[in-house]
Amino acid sequence: MRLALYIGRRFLFLIPQVFLISFITFVLVRLLPGDPARLSLGPLAPESSVEALRAKMYLDRPIPEQYLIWLENAFQGDLGESWVNNTEVIDDLVHRIPVTLELIFLALLVVFVVLVPLAIITASRTRNWIVRIFQNLTFGYGMLAGALPDFLLGLVLIFFLFAGAAGLMPAEILPGPEGRLGILDFEPPFVTGSILIDSLIAGDMEIFWSGFMHLIMPVFTLAFVYGAPIFKMLRSQMEGALKADYTTYAEAVGLAPRIVLTRAARVAAGPTLVITGVVVMFLLGGAVLVERVFNYVGLGQYAINGIVTADYAPIQGFVCFAAIFTMLVYLAVDLIHFAMDPRIKIGGTQA
Amino acid sequence: MVWLRIRRTLLSLPKWQLAVLAMFFGWIFLTIFGPYLAPFPTEVAEPTTRLLPPSGTYPFGTDENGIDIFSRVLAAPRTDVVIGVVATALSVVIGTPLGVIVALYESRGGAGSTAFAETFMRLLEVIQSFPVFVFAMVLVAVFGGSVTNIIIAIAFVNTPVFVRIVRSDVLSLVQRPFSEAARAVGNREVRIGFRHVLPNALPTVIVQVSVTVGFAILLTAGLSFVGAGVKPPTPELGAMIASGAKYLEIGQWWAAFFPGIALGLIVFSFGIFGEIMTQVMEPRAVRRETDRRREAALETGGDEPEVPDAPTVTLSHMSEPVLAVEHLGVVAVDSRQPLLSEIHLALEAGHSMGIVGESGSGKSVLVKALLQLLPPELAVTSGSVRYLDHDLLTMSKGSMRAMRTTQIAAILPNAKSQLNPLTSVGDMLRSALQAHEKIGAKEAEVRSIQLLEMVGIVDPAQRLSAFPHELSGGMAQRVCLAMALMYHPKLLIADEPTAGLDVTIQRQVLDLTRTLAEDAGTARLLITGDLGIAAHYCDTVAVMQAGRIVEIDETERLFDAPRHPYTQHLLDCVRV
Repeated sequence: MRLALYIGRRFLFLIPQVFLISFITFVLVRLLPGDPARLSLGPLAPESSVEALRAKMYLDRPIPEQYLIWLENAFQGDLGESWVNNTEVIDDLVHRIPVTLELIFLALLVVFVVLVPLAIITASRTRNWIVRIFQNLTFGYGMLAGALPDFLLGLVLIFFLFAGAAGLMPAEILPGPEGRLGILDFEPPFVTGSILIDSLIAGDMEIFWSGFMHLIMPVFTLAFVYGAPIFKMLRSQMEGALKADYTTYAEAVGLAPRIVLTRAARVAAGPTLVITGVVVMFLLGGAVLVERVFNYVGLGQYAINGIVTADYAPIQGFVCFAAIFTMLVYLAVDLIHFAMDPRIKIGGTQA
Repeated sequence: MVWLRIRRTLLSLPKWQLAVLAMFFGWIFLTIFGPYLAPFPTEVAEPTTRLLPPSGTYPFGTDENGIDIFSRVLAAPRTDVVIGVVATALSVVIGTPLGVIVALYESRGGAGSTAFAETFMRLLEVIQSFPVFVFAMVLVAVFGGSVTNIIIAIAFVNTPVFVRIVRSDVLSLVQRPFSEAARAVGNREVRIGFRHVLPNALPTVIVQVSVTVGFAILLTAGLSFVGAGVKPPTPELGAMIASGAKYLEIGQWWAAFFPGIALGLIVFSFGIFGEIMTQVMEPRAVRRETDRRREAALETGGDEPEVPDAPTVTLSHMSEPVLAVEHLGVVAVDSRQPLLSEIHLALEAGHSMGIVGESGSGKSVLVKALLQLLPPELAVTSGSVRYLDHDLLTMSKGSMRAMRTTQIAAILPNAKSQLNPLTSVGDMLRSALQAHEKIGAKEAEVRSIQLLEMVGIVDPAQRLSAFPHELSGGMAQRVCLAMALMYHPKLLIADEPTAGLDVTIQRQVLDLTRTLAEDAGTARLLITGDLGIAAHYCDTVAVMQAGRIVEIDETERLFDAPRHPYTQHLLDCVRV
């Protein structure tokens, strides 16, 4: 009941927010320098055909009207057309979004499999040598990860592993920054857009392996850099929870260590979850840079190309997707947090 | 005040942090003077010296335009750091007043103000849902890649952060007494907000500033790296890395390497600077509290040369004790400072003993030591703690756990903080029951309801689903009492069981505890700062001072004829 009320309230705000997002992007993108009609026809085209194209692209209408037209088309699944590549934006997005989401999802997976247990171990109050080794290891990590920009880490990796004669890694073992697959590999038939899933569906283990190996470096880069805030938050929250009165009391009552630990972890999980939501948003931006470094053809490269060539429709499509995606992630995070923590009031706005 | 704190923080810093701090100021220095120190021109291409490896003339080599990289690295902080600092300053200047205004509207109440505040926050959410990097990229693309535009874009994406932080700080601060006072003397809301509340919110803002500057520098470099930020030939680290990255794979590493190192070090030193600022602004409240306690223990421990020898207990008719403590000593592990020394206690079955003493005298440490719950910072150095014929100090954790609650029960101070905020009363009781017996959820629930009835909670079945924040202090204390007495333990150790409760509730809870414990034949150790409670509820009273028991006697005798000057002193305090 409480949950239903909360969800209802959040969705009430979600719909106008989505409209607002699309409107803001629309206006912003219209402000990009350069006349797309002129750019698409080239500098030598006669003024009359540029005018004709402008009319066809509705560029001669006032912006609110252009927006309504765009909105109407968007509802029919038509996000416009890239004038640079002459492709439908919706098709591009369908092919590119899974690529970037795969990166983000795998990076989060690595964070949760590797860093979350590490955070819990290093927050432990028992001071045996195992804990101490991990504490020293992660101390260095915490410092490094906060200072190392994602693209820099990617470049450092490329440098040490592949740079000329100094490269430590033979290309047969780990492929260089050549994109999602080797030059001679064929993409599996498109089903979900995820290279791992699609190659499995196609039953092609060789491509699966190649895709997997090509994912290692970008995913590691993203996980290393963007895992740091999650790791630090969870560790400090866990330290706090293990020191808290309620943990001592749970021990005093004689609860099993496992229960004592999980109950402390539950308290630590709330703020960690909130920061994870923010990290996902940053991962989307990080993916833009990391894709660039590893020549990975995903959404980020698509957006950069769009911006560099003043290609309205792709930028509009991408930014809209990114904002709505973030919005939904925040929503999901808030819902889970709300379900987990009975102290959150229904009307409360999150700080 | 602030200077003092800065000094104290600086002195407490590890050496490596001081080194990083020095480096931080080095980068600030380069930001101001770097361009003048460059030995070569930083923006003029020189085709004859393209991509030379590091040498005596060009310590960092030259880039694809033949420009000395060392010179460019010296000059680059001027671009990166200035953009980061100015953009952050701009976000603060815009975000802070907005945050105060929204918070004032929100705290004023009324449908109109609330609607305004809520709408504003949702709008902010919309802006924040644009991925920062992408949004900045679009903004720069729209308005052009000049330094001013990059600053505006970065300031824009960071402003909501400050609005949020200031808002939530001000919201909690306007309810504090000093704001009430400002209101009572007739200040207008806006004035209160900016003159009285905002200065108190500044520490949080300053901490956030130091974080944001580093982030803004990263953002600048990232934007320039993808070509959507500062354009060459302006010396800027992200753009320099991008131009060098092309040559990385073919072995000409220096063009990207040195700017990369510089960028990493800048962001790193700004990050550490932020952490140091955090320590200056928000010295850990908890740490100070324990420090103060230790200091208090030290001070009182210093001036007591006239204390008579440790008192011998002269209790009549002593039978086999439930709890016997001998020569117990506890120290702080780090400082080797003794917190308890030469503690002797003996508690008979069914009897009750009070332990009194001022705060900091070591009462709570004693409780934790008896219960084997000392935090890792504290350690037992000597003596023994015997419960019946078990030696608790050498007992395994597992067998100790089995005895907790069933035989040795504990009530710890401030019941509401003892209950996990995310665990309902029902879950807490059930898990306690299931820790000691194999019973199903259904039976546990029935038993839990009986237990809550036992401690006089009205409508117990309803209360099972309540969470700690929904309980009153007295109610929480009753829940803890139910937990403590669920198995009729032989020994109950209650540490300040009624601190923070109303006087009437105190009596109810203590009376209830006594009745239930006497029915079950439970021996009680009652730790309290309140002599009246000790006098009323205990057969014997021990007086603690500076980690020692200075006097122990039957209650009446102790109160009628105290032998130790400290006991006398305590009694005088009450009788005034």
